[in-house]
Amino acid sequence: MILALVVLCCALGVSGAGPEQQLTVYTSQTSYSLPVVDRSGKQYISVADLLSPLGSSQPTTKEKDWRISLNKMDLRLTEGKDKAVINKQTVDLGGKVLLENGRFMVPMDAVLPLLARLLNTTIDFHQPARRMFIGNPFTRFTPEYKNGDQPSLLLNFSQPVTRLEINHDEHRGALFTHSNKTTLAFRKDPLVSDLKTQQFSDGAIQSLAFSEENGAAVITVTGNKHLQITRSEDGKTITLQPQAPAAAAAPEPSPQSTLAAPESQRRGPEFFVMIDPSHGGNDKGATFGGKLVEKDITLRLARELRKELEERGIASRLLRDSDIDLSLERRAEIANEQHAGLYVALHAGRPGKGVRVYASFLTDPQQPSASRFMPWESAQAGALGRSQITARAVSDELRKKGLTVANLAMPVRPLNNLAGPAIAVELTPETDDPQSPENVKRQNTVAAAVAAAIAQVRIQLGGRP
Amino acid sequence: MIPRHFQITIALVLLAILISGVVIIRMTHKEEALTLQAAEAAPVAPVVGGKQEHIQVLMAYDDDQALRWRPAEIFLPADRGLRARETLRYVLAQYLQTPSPHPLGKGSDIKDVYFISDDTMIVDTTAPFADGHPSGILLEELTLTSLIETLNANVPGIAKVKFLVDGKERETLAGHADLMSFYQTASVHELAKEFE
Repeated sequence: MILALVVLCCALGVSGAGPEQQLTVYTSQTSYSLPVVDRSGKQYISVADLLSPLGSSQPTTKEKDWRISLNKMDLRLTEGKDKAVINKQTVDLGGKVLLENGRFMVPMDAVLPLLARLLNTTIDFHQPARRMFIGNPFTRFTPEYKNGDQPSLLLNFSQPVTRLEINHDEHRGALFTHSNKTTLAFRKDPLVSDLKTQQFSDGAIQSLAFSEENGAAVITVTGNKHLQITRSEDGKTITLQPQAPAAAAAPEPSPQSTLAAPESQRRGPEFFVMIDPSHGGNDKGATFGGKLVEKDITLRLARELRKELEERGIASRLLRDSDIDLSLERRAEIANEQHAGLYVALHAGRPGKGVRVYASFLTDPQQPSASRFMPWESAQAGALGRSQITARAVSDELRKKGLTVANLAMPVRPLNNLAGPAIAVELTPETDDPQSPENVKRQNTVAAAVAAAIAQVRIQLGGRP
Repeated sequence: MIPRHFQITIALVLLAILISGVVIIRMTHKEEALTLQAAEAAPVAPVVGGKQEHIQVLMAYDDDQALRWRPAEIFLPADRGLRARETLRYVLAQYLQTPSPHPLGKGSDIKDVYFISDDTMIVDTTAPFADGHPSGILLEELTLTSLIETLNANVPGIAKVKFLVDGKERETLAGHADLMSFYQTASVHELAKEFE
């Protein structure tokens, strides 16, 4: 469960462009970065930051000793010692264990031997670039150059890319020619490539180079014009092309302006609603009269909501579109990874009549952060205000449709694990008959009301008008 | 010489007796197993000392979607852990009665209650408490709020509560209510007001 903690390091992706040194770890489930510090000429990292996202136990400290369990292996570190003990076997750390502000630090050289013992799986460590791949989580890309009046470069990725840092850099030479370098940094995506450089033309898009540095993969495209970057809906294609004249006439963005823009502005064009038809597969949820089950109601309602949102020009995605098992944790992970503008969990349940709309209730709002990562159990804290605004808007719209509505704050799993705005909507079936037209009618009414409310608040949530 | 039809009749009668015997033995074993299972699932009568006290417990009423305070007379030990356990068991026992204002699964009970720090309590419930709990956001939240707020009112000094199921962490009670978190009793106190 702790593995999912790291999905929430939103701030990390933004701050990662600074001079701070970072190590990035990629697994098939997630990726995360942690700071690297220099101590006496050696690079050091916090062991808790490294291991907790991989599912380690809570560490225990006794005087100079520090213990943690991962994958049924026990790791013991002692401050000042240059060796660790894993299940009674000694591992050379290549430097002394440091204790700083309650955090046990080990040299970067120790990361590979420690994880190799603890995880017992394939680990590929690109140490100069500080990128570590656990298992085989790789994403690869192929460039596709299209010549013509309006040349373009398509970067096709084997997996959707989620986090992108963009930097435009312009150099003017003595003969008043200028070259633009567009740098795409992929910190969260396990991007690797055998391609180092490729030449295309002498014009707007001249060449591409791939490199790895400071915990990120970097694609640099050089040309003589400023390039516009767009990403496909599925996240698997990035297109670079010269800016259209009107756009080019607009004020030039300063270097790293994309990074400096507020989160809402950066996410604006990508706003979408993540619809979660709760339960599925073996998890039927609540049952009504033996035949009607919650998982079927939520899926039908989700499809209807998607249709209603589309009619209002709002993009949406379904977390499941068939009868499959999907853990609550994974649902939250996906929504966080894809930076959903709003997460809507759909439920059906008794008692009562009408609809209940829930925003999160933080069970322990004062929960301390064990590391620089956002705590999984209170990830919703930063978005709670926007969630409440959305819940109120949805309640108002439902009331306008003549439904009995309760607007509540409850610790419904996984709302507290969502880093963005999140609500849950629970409707009570009219009858226990799965084919009942009354049930279908109510679901359609609820879907329309929820979509109308989202259309009202989408600007406050970071969407376009 | 015994006639052939008489031989067949005797053979059929013997076969019928044999089959009946097997069926009776299997039914007896099944009944014993059910009796044993029921005995294991039933709450174990607590060994309680202390004096009889007049307390208030917060009960869930599904039909009204509400929580209401009700008076109760129970024996409560002085020890905080035992006091908490007995208070919670009393609430669950009310829910297990027929008819019940908030029905729970048969065998729902508190296995143990212990403190991991002076103000942080772990409540370990039986597996049927979660396995047999009706699924639904409101139903599950009413249960947890009822239990935590009753603790809050009758066992002083508890700031945080976490629920386990049969000694292990479980993500939700029955698919909805969060069981992974530590519940702050002060926050739950505010939450309970929405239903009172």
